[in-house]
This record gives sequence, C-alpha cells and structure tokens, in this order.
Amino acid sequence: MGKYLVKRAIMMAVTLFMIALLTFSLMHIVPGGPFTSDKQVSQAVLDAMTKKYNLDDPLWKQFFDYIGGVLRFDFGPSYKYQGKTVNDFIVNGMPYTATLGMVTLVFVLLISIPMGIVAALKNGRWQDMVLMTVATFGVTIPSFVIATGLMYIFSYKLGWLPTYGVDSWKGYILPMIAMGGYSISFLARLMRSSLLEVMGQDYIRTARAKGISEFRVVWKHALRNALIPVITVLGPTIANLLTGSFVIEKIFAIPGIGGYFVNSVTQRDYTTIMGMTIFYAAILIAMIFIVDLFYCLIDPRIKYE
Amino acid sequence: MDASNKWERVSMDAADAERIYRKSRTFFGDVWYRFRHKPTSLLGLILVVVLLLFSCVGPFFTPYSYSEQNTKLANIPPVMTVYPGPEEGVYFYVTQALKVIEVDENGNLIRQLKKDKDDAKAKRTSFKYADGVKVYLDYSAQPNVMCDADGNRIEQGITKWNNTYLLGTDQLGRDILTRLMYGTRISLMVAFIAALVNMVIGIFYGGIAGYMGGRVDSVMMRIVDIIATIPLTLYVILIKMCLSDGMLSIIIALSSVYWVDMARVVRGEMLSLKNQEFVLAARTIGSSTRTILTKHLIPNALGPILVTVTMLIPSAIFMEAFMSFIGIGISPPMASLGTMCNDATEALRTNPYQLFLPALVICVIMFAFNFVGDGLRDALDPKLKK
Repeated sequence: MGKYLVKRAIMMAVTLFMIALLTFSLMHIVPGGPFTSDKQVSQAVLDAMTKKYNLDDPLWKQFFDYIGGVLRFDFGPSYKYQGKTVNDFIVNGMPYTATLGMVTLVFVLLISIPMGIVAALKNGRWQDMVLMTVATFGVTIPSFVIATGLMYIFSYKLGWLPTYGVDSWKGYILPMIAMGGYSISFLARLMRSSLLEVMGQDYIRTARAKGISEFRVVWKHALRNALIPVITVLGPTIANLLTGSFVIEKIFAIPGIGGYFVNSVTQRDYTTIMGMTIFYAAILIAMIFIVDLFYCLIDPRIKYE
Repeated sequence: MDASNKWERVSMDAADAERIYRKSRTFFGDVWYRFRHKPTSLLGLILVVVLLLFSCVGPFFTPYSYSEQNTKLANIPPVMTVYPGPEEGVYFYVTQALKVIEVDENGNLIRQLKKDKDDAKAKRTSFKYADGVKVYLDYSAQPNVMCDADGNRIEQGITKWNNTYLLGTDQLGRDILTRLMYGTRISLMVAFIAALVNMVIGIFYGGIAGYMGGRVDSVMMRIVDIIATIPLTLYVILIKMCLSDGMLSIIIALSSVYWVDMARVVRGEMLSLKNQEFVLAARTIGSSTRTILTKHLIPNALGPILVTVTMLIPSAIFMEAFMSFIGIGISPPMASLGTMCNDATEALRTNPYQLFLPALVICVIMFAFNFVGDGLRDALDPKLKK
C-alpha cells in the first residue's frame, strides 16, 4: 500500500509537470505576444512591460520561474486585468465552483444510483424502458442545450427560478440539473449493467437459497459489488462535472472559475489561461487519486502493488 | 399423417438431413443482418442518411445563402400571428421592431409597409398600404396588434406558417433553414475528419504498442495514461487558441487529443490477437511486421475500431458545438450548430425557436450516431448471435 502510494504520487507529479510544460509551450506558440492587442502601444511601454514580467529571459528560465511560482501557489499576474493576479480569480471563483460541483455531485449520485438499481431490478419491464430512455436523452443532449432549455421553461415561462446568479439556493437548481444531466445518465446506465451482471452471479443464487429476503440480497450482497465500476468512473465524472461547469457558469452568470476561464480564453489572457489550466488539472488528478484510494475501502479484494 | 396415431414415425429422407436451414452468410453479411434487425440502430442509420442528405443536397434547393442578411426581415418566427388587412387575402405581421409586413394567403412575406405617421399619444402608427389606404398598428397594449377598418384593436390574430422562410429568420434576417443545412454540414465534416484522423493515429499508435509489447508498450502506454488524465476539454481549447481561426484548426485541435481511447482499444485487441495461430503462420512464411500488422491484425480488430469511431463522432460534434458555443469555434458568418445556439441565447426570451432548432438538430445527430454505435457494438459481438 505504501509503495503504491509513493508510485502514484510520483506519477501524479510527472503528469502535472507534463501538463505545466505542455501548457507553457502551447501558450508560447500562440502567434503574437501577450500584449498584442487592437490598441497601438508604444515601443517604450512594451519594453517596460517585457522587463517587468521578465519576458526577456530565456524561455527555459521563464519556465522554471513559472514552475517555482506554481509550487508556491503563485500563478502570476493577469496580463489583461491591471493589478489582478490569477490567484485572485481562483480565490474569488473557487467557492462558487466548489459549491456547485459538490451539490451537483451529490445530486448526480442521489439520482443516478437509484435509477440504475430500479432499472436493473425491473429489467425489461416498463420502468426499465422509461428510465433508460430518459438516460439516453441525458447522454445525447449537450449540457448547454439542457441549460438554456431549462432556463426558458422554468425562468422565463414559469418564473419559478432565477435566470442568473447564486444569491439564494434557488440559483443552484438549474445549473445543477444542466451540469449533472450527462453524468446522471451515464452513471445510471453503468449502475444498471453492473447490477445486472452481479445479479447473475452464483453468490447471489446462494444468498437467495439461504432464504434471506430479496431486499437483503440486493442491499447486502449485490449492491456492494455492483458499486465498484461506478466508483471507478467517479474520478472522470468529477472531471466532467468540473469542465462542464465552464459553459454552465457562463450561461447562468455564476462567478466561478469556469466563467473566468471562458472569459480569459475569449480575451486571450495567457497567464490566466495557463494558471487556470494547471489548477484545474491539479484538482482533477487529485480527485482521481482520492477515488482510487477509496477502492480499497469498498473492495477488500483489490490489493495495490 | 393420421391425427389419431401420434406415435407414428415422421418420415425423413437423406436430403432433408443434409439441408442447411440457416442461410449461410459472410461475417459482414451477418453483422448487417443483426444490425438491421434492431429497430434503434436502423433508425439511427436512416437518421444519419437523412442528415447527410439534408446537409449536402439541401443547400441546392434553398434560394438563400448562409450569410445573406436581410435585417428588414429579422427575427421572423416559423409560425406567425397575422392580422387581416383591408383586402381579401392580405394579412399583416407585426415584427418585434414594430414594423409591418404584408403576408399573403399562403404565408409568403410580400413586402414591408412604409411608415406614415406615428401618433405617440394614442400609441398608434399608421402605415401606407396603397394609395390613400392606411393601416394602423396599435402598440398601446401587449401584444402589439393591427387595427381593423373601424380603428379597433384586432385582439385575435390568425396563425400562419411562414412560407418564405420555412423555419424563420435569425436576428440578422438570415434564413434559419439554410443556416441549419450549412451548420450540420460543418459539424458533420469536422466530426468525420476528426474521427478519421483519430482513428488513423490511434490504430498505428495502439497497433505498434500492442504488437511490439514489452518496454515499447509500457513506455507508449504510460504516455497514453498521462494524456488520459489531462482534462482534454482544456487542451482542445488551448490548442485551438494556438492556431488561427477556421475549420482546420478545430479539426487539428480535436484530432490531436481524442486518439487516446482508440489507441487503448487497438492495443488491447493486438495483445489478444498477436499470439494466435494465424499470426504465427504468417510469421513462419516470413511476412514482415508491417504486413502482419496491416494485413492480419488490424483487419481482425476492425469491429471494436469501428464501434469506437462511431462513438468518437458524437463526441467530436459535441466538442465542436461546445467550442463554438463559448465563442472560439467557427468564425462568422459561417454557420455551425454551436454558433447558432450561441447567437440565439441572447434573445432566448423573445425568440426561443432560434435556439431550439439548432439544438434539436444537434440532439438528432447525437441520437443517430449513438444508436448506430450501439447497434454496431451489438451486431459485431458474436456472443449475441442468434
């Protein structure tokens, strides 16, 4: 276990380094300097700016300076917003994004797992058909379509929920549904197929033969085993939810980091894009790592080497 | 046979015993048989063909172009509420910008009426219909309506289908149907090319890794593992930003990251295939590695590859729409389904049809390819053979 942890930690560090390198190089391939804009800026100003941000250093030095900064949780200044640092954006946006992400994750799990269980237990009957049709819709309709559709129905036509902002808890409902739609459908389908497979196993027949109630068979014996594939994809699901939040935060005007990211992309604010990308990637990799560790709690059969 | 004696032996001749009841089919014949006997996959295939016709043949039949603007006729919905005019068979449609458009019996838009005088006090505007004939628009209460001959508000309008622009116009007065055709074409083209490039990269990367095995395999797969942990959405966006605007850069951005799944699938297939006897036989007769890979292994792994490609297409379409939606996709005036959705969100409250039409097309495309992919997976799985 200890050895596994160390190995995983090294892998994580390598991955993050690669991400930083890739992002850094991509941002330096971009045609035009960071200060290229529609406005004409005098050469003296450009020189001063270049000097200020150490852009005249050789590239490798800039890169290692940047990595050094990142290791100290300093993502550098924003090139487009005077006096703002990338850290400001992250600190301002993170509470909203994290809240939305958590709420959505809980919502997704609360809906998708029971959905999958019911569909599997009623395999082939109308309940199964209805739930899986809904799930197919959820997988195929893009989140921004769900978001705008929900907004049109619940905010404009019915007037029940706000169209933007998260001043009250009501503001989270629509973004939550829109963001979770895909994951709900995906997890429900996975849960269904995995439970169906487990229900056909010999130990389920044995459990039934013992004469225990069907509820206990499902709850005690089948579910625990069927949940393992679902937990496997939780890491990528969290990743999906987080990156899905870009567009959702933009549509519902939620001041989270996804919104800042999209803004920085359209405004070509390179340091912000770079910092946000690395920050996002770090969160995602950490999440996948945590999920992997959860395995051994759920399934004692899995031994880490 | 005598019905009273149920124990009589059924006669059977030798030819009957040799008869093959099941029609003999080739592998792909078998796959096709199973594919078309599943209603959803057949529906998916039909939808794909319809979409292809719609996007490739459709533009020949439309009188408009995707970029032709007619701001006078902006934001006209597919279903209009019109008010009867002074003559038989003449109707008026009131636009959101308080303009009056003459509509004939069949829903064709004839012309825009010239404004005559605005009476701000009575909240009425008069328009010249013909010499000396005026019609009045009343905007004192919502909705804005026309007045009849006696000057009273016509509260009850008549619903008419828009015959000039079948699916209405967008905020710049462009025909939505035409833009949908071009948008679908762009989306499908981007998706097909990206999926194809991904397929080629994935097949060769995975093929080499799986066939070589050992150290080459573990190094190559480590790289794939690292790429797989990177949030790809971010990288598609970043790569897109490094390149100039336009369709080519979207295709490059999409095809540079999504080959990872394909590489994994191909590698898995290679690992299980390469130790089988036919590969050994090929090696014995002295075939080169290249021949073994391209002639023996890859054709045998074609099933899973095909399924992965059909599943790649919807995700490429989704990514293209996603990028266009956040404003870094196809540059205007070219239409893509994502940009159409994005343009429509601003006026969602007043013109919801502008969003729902492209959204519907996206959903249909996604459905079609998902159905085809699911169908192919089932059809290619020999365990499901009946």
